[in-house]
Amino acid sequence: MYELARKALKLAEKAGAEEAEIYYAANHSTGVNFRKDALENAKDRFSEGIGIRAIVNGAVGFASTNSAAQIEDAVEVAVAEARVRESDPDWVSLPSNGKYPTVSGIFDKKVETLELESCIEYALALIEGTKEVPGTLPTSGGFTRSKGKQLILNTNGIEIEEESTAISGFVDVITVNGQASTAYDFGISRSLDIDFFALGKNAAELAMKSNGGIKIEPQKTDVVFHPFAISDIIEEALAPSLDADNVQKGRSGLIDKVGEELAVPELSIYDDGLIEAGIETSASDDEGVPSQRTTVIGKGVLETYLYDSYTAGKAGVKSTGNSSRFSYTSPPSVGLRNVIVDYPQTDVIADTQSGIFVNTVIGAHTANSISGDFSVEARNAFTIKDGALDKPIKSLMISGNAFELLKQISGAGFDVRKVGGIITPSIRVSDMSVIG
Amino acid sequence: MQELIMTIMQDIKFYDCRVIEGSSTSIILDNGKIEELSRNFTRGAGVRALCGGSWGYTSVEGEINLKQGVEAASKLAISMNASTPKEDVELATINPPEVKNLPEIRIDPRDVSIEEKVDLLKSIEAHAKVKGINSTKVMYLESEFKVEYRSSDGIEGAYELMNVGFAVSAVASENGVYQAGRESRFGYGYEVFEKENVLELAGKAGNTAIELLKAKTPKGGEMPVVLDQELAGVFAHEAVGHAAEADLVLEGDSILENRIGEQIASPLVTIIDDPTLHKFGYYPFDAEGAQSKRTEIIKNGVFNSYLHSRETAAKLGGTPGNCRAQGYSMPVVRMSNTFIDNGDARFEEMLEEVKDGMYLIGSRGGQVNTGEGIFQFNAEKGYLIRNGELTELVRDVSLSGKTLEILNHVALVGNDLKMTAGRCGKAGQLVSVSDGSPHLAISKALVGGA
Repeated sequence: MYELARKALKLAEKAGAEEAEIYYAANHSTGVNFRKDALENAKDRFSEGIGIRAIVNGAVGFASTNSAAQIEDAVEVAVAEARVRESDPDWVSLPSNGKYPTVSGIFDKKVETLELESCIEYALALIEGTKEVPGTLPTSGGFTRSKGKQLILNTNGIEIEEESTAISGFVDVITVNGQASTAYDFGISRSLDIDFFALGKNAAELAMKSNGGIKIEPQKTDVVFHPFAISDIIEEALAPSLDADNVQKGRSGLIDKVGEELAVPELSIYDDGLIEAGIETSASDDEGVPSQRTTVIGKGVLETYLYDSYTAGKAGVKSTGNSSRFSYTSPPSVGLRNVIVDYPQTDVIADTQSGIFVNTVIGAHTANSISGDFSVEARNAFTIKDGALDKPIKSLMISGNAFELLKQISGAGFDVRKVGGIITPSIRVSDMSVIG
Repeated sequence: MQELIMTIMQDIKFYDCRVIEGSSTSIILDNGKIEELSRNFTRGAGVRALCGGSWGYTSVEGEINLKQGVEAASKLAISMNASTPKEDVELATINPPEVKNLPEIRIDPRDVSIEEKVDLLKSIEAHAKVKGINSTKVMYLESEFKVEYRSSDGIEGAYELMNVGFAVSAVASENGVYQAGRESRFGYGYEVFEKENVLELAGKAGNTAIELLKAKTPKGGEMPVVLDQELAGVFAHEAVGHAAEADLVLEGDSILENRIGEQIASPLVTIIDDPTLHKFGYYPFDAEGAQSKRTEIIKNGVFNSYLHSRETAAKLGGTPGNCRAQGYSMPVVRMSNTFIDNGDARFEEMLEEVKDGMYLIGSRGGQVNTGEGIFQFNAEKGYLIRNGELTELVRDVSLSGKTLEILNHVALVGNDLKMTAGRCGKAGQLVSVSDGSPHLAISKALVGGA
C-alpha cells in the first residue's frame, strides 16, 4: 500500500480534487499476555491503511481503506463526498511548506528487532516482580512492543515519513489473604529502558499496603495526586477545553480566557511535540505541520489554545502542530502532543502535614468535559500524617473542578512519570472535597 | 472464505479464523454545518492457534492469506508453549451455529441518499437547538459487515449485519456555566429513525442542557436512592456483568468467584444477558462460532451463571456463547444485551419508599474494579426526593459503592424495563452492547457531589 500512496494522490487530483492528502500508517505489534502467573497468549498484529482527504471548492471529503484493491474506490468516494458538501467558508488550505525539525529518541533498532523470546522474558519479569511480595498474585498483564511507520503526502508539497517504536508493560495485582485489595502499574517508552521486574514489585507492594483500609470522614483537605491520577484528570476534565475546536464551537470552559491568570503563578503547562523520546514526539503532527513546543499555561497565565491547521485558519493564527488521528480510518482533529506539567518540585509528601495521597482514580472519563467538573473514586489512597503516608483508605470519592484545581495547586513531587503523552510529577491540591 | 486445506501442524490442537469485511459511513453535523463526511472500507482476519496451554494470535488487515495467518499464529503458540509450558487448555465442545432470527431490515440505509441523511440530521439539529442552546453536534453512523468463521474442529458459520443510528448533544451556557444534554439511538435498518421519535429526542437533549444550568450540585453522602432505567442498566452492566465474566473469574479478579448458588442480591433482583434480542448487543453466534443464547446471571437474588468462552466453559463448567471481539482483535469474554428483569413496583411507590433521598437519571459512564467489587459512575442529572416527592433538580452527581452491598439494598424493582445502546471497553477493545433495567429503589447508597 505504501507504494500506492503517491499514485492515490495523483488519482485524487485526476478525479477533481483541488487539494488532496494521503495519510498512510502501518503498525506491527507483538504482545505477550499473562493471566494469574501463567503466560496465556502471544499476539501479533499487523495493520496498514490509508486515509484520503479530498477538497473541492472548500469542502472536504474523507475515505479510508486497508485494502490495496480498494484504493481507487476510496479516492473516488472522498472526492464525491467533497462534491456533495457545501463549501466551508472557514476552510483555508491543507498545510504547505513543511520544514521539519530533527527529533530524537523515538526509534530504537533493538525494539524493532525484538524476538518473541525477549518479549516472553519481559512479561515474565513483570510476574517475577510481583512474587517478591508474598500474599499477592498478579491477575493479568503483559508486555507489548510495536513499530509504526507513517507517511503524509499532500498536493501542496508536504511529504514527511517517519518511523517509531514503543514498548509497554502492564500488571494488575490482587492480595490473596483477607480483604481483597488491588493495584496496578504500567510503563511505556520508546526504547528498552523500563525495569519490568520493578513495575511488578511496585504494583504488588501497593496492593499489599492498601489492604485493611479505613473509613474516613467527609472533609476538605490537601490531596496529593500520583502522576497516574492527575494525568487522568488533566486529560478528561481540562484538556478538552484547550482544544481550539471546542473553543470555536462554544464547548469549552476556557472561552475568552487567553491572557487570564488561570492557575497559580508557579505552574506552567507545555504541549511539546519535540521532547526527546516522548510518546507523542514526531517531526510533524498528523497532517504534516512541523512539531513545536507550545506554552499553554505560562506562569499561571493561559497563553493559547491548541490548534490544527483548520482551527488555526478559522482563527487566523498559526497551527500549533496539534493535528492528531486515532488511526488512518478517521480524519484529523485537534489532540494533545506531549503535555508537560511544570511546578517547583519538593519532597511533596514530607511537606504535607496532613492530607490524602491518591495513586489512581476510576471514572475520570465521566467528567464534564466542558465545565471541568469531575467526581471520581480514588484507588490505593492513603492518609498523610506528619509528612508520611499513614493508613490505607478503603473507599474515597473526590469531586472538584479542573479549572478550580489549577488555582489550588500547592506542591509537586520529584517523581515525574511519563503517563503516555502526559509527563507530570505528583501534584498537591489544597482544599479538595473528599467523601469516605 | 478461502479454502483451508492444511494439515494441522504437529502440536497445534486447535485453530480458528474469522474474516470480517465491511464498510461504514459517518456524517457529523457540528453547529449546523457538515463537519465530517467519511467512508471507511475494511477487510481483515484474526487467527488463533492453540498449543498445549498457550494461544498464538495473528491479525492481518487488507489482503489476507489465511494459510500464512494460521502458520504465524501456530508458531507463536508453539514458542510460547516451549518457553513456558503449562496445563493444557481444553475447549468446551459446541455444535455448528444456526444462523436464524437475524434482525429484519425494512429500509436499507444504503438506499437512502446522502442528501436525505444530511436533511434528517439538519432537522434533528434544529430541534435540539431550543432557546438558550449555543452549540450542537449530531452524529450519524452506519456500518455493514460480513463475518465468516471457521475452525479446525469443523465449526463454520457466516452472517451479515447492518447497524444504523445517531447521537445528538446540545450545550447551553450562562455566566460561564456550561451544561450538556445528550441522546442517542441505534438499531437495525433506517426505519429506526421512524420508530423512534428522533426529533422529540433531540428536543429533550436541548431541554436537559438548559435545565441543568439552573440545577444545583447536591451535598453528597449516604442516602436512599431511586435509579432510572439507564443508570440502573449501567449498574447491571458495570458492577454485576463484568464480575460475571468467567475470564476475570479465572484471573482471580472477580468478587463473584466461587459464588454460584449463593444468594448475593435481594430476591427481587434477576439479571440476564441475552444476545438473541434485537438490541445493540445482538449477534447470531459469537467470535468462536458458539450459538448465542440467553443467560440468567442472577435469578431471584441467587448467583446463577458466569458468562463463558469455550475455554472458560471447559474450566469452570458452563455454556459458551459470550466470546466477542472488536474487528480482528483476539476474542475475550464479553456481555451482549444485559438487563435487570422487570419487577412489579410503580415509580410512585418507589418515591414513597425512599421518602428522603435522591432520584438519579441518565449516565455519563462508569467504571468498575471487579476484584474488589467497587464501582463508580456518574448520573447525568437528578432530583432531590423530599417527603416522597420529587423536588429540585441537581447535577454532577455520582454514585459509588460496593456491588454486593447495593445488590442487597435493592428495595423495589419497577415494571418499566428500558434498554439503552452503548459501547463497552475491555482489553482495549470496544464492542456494541445494550443494557437496561426498570427503575430501582435502593435503601442505601453513597452519592457524591461537591
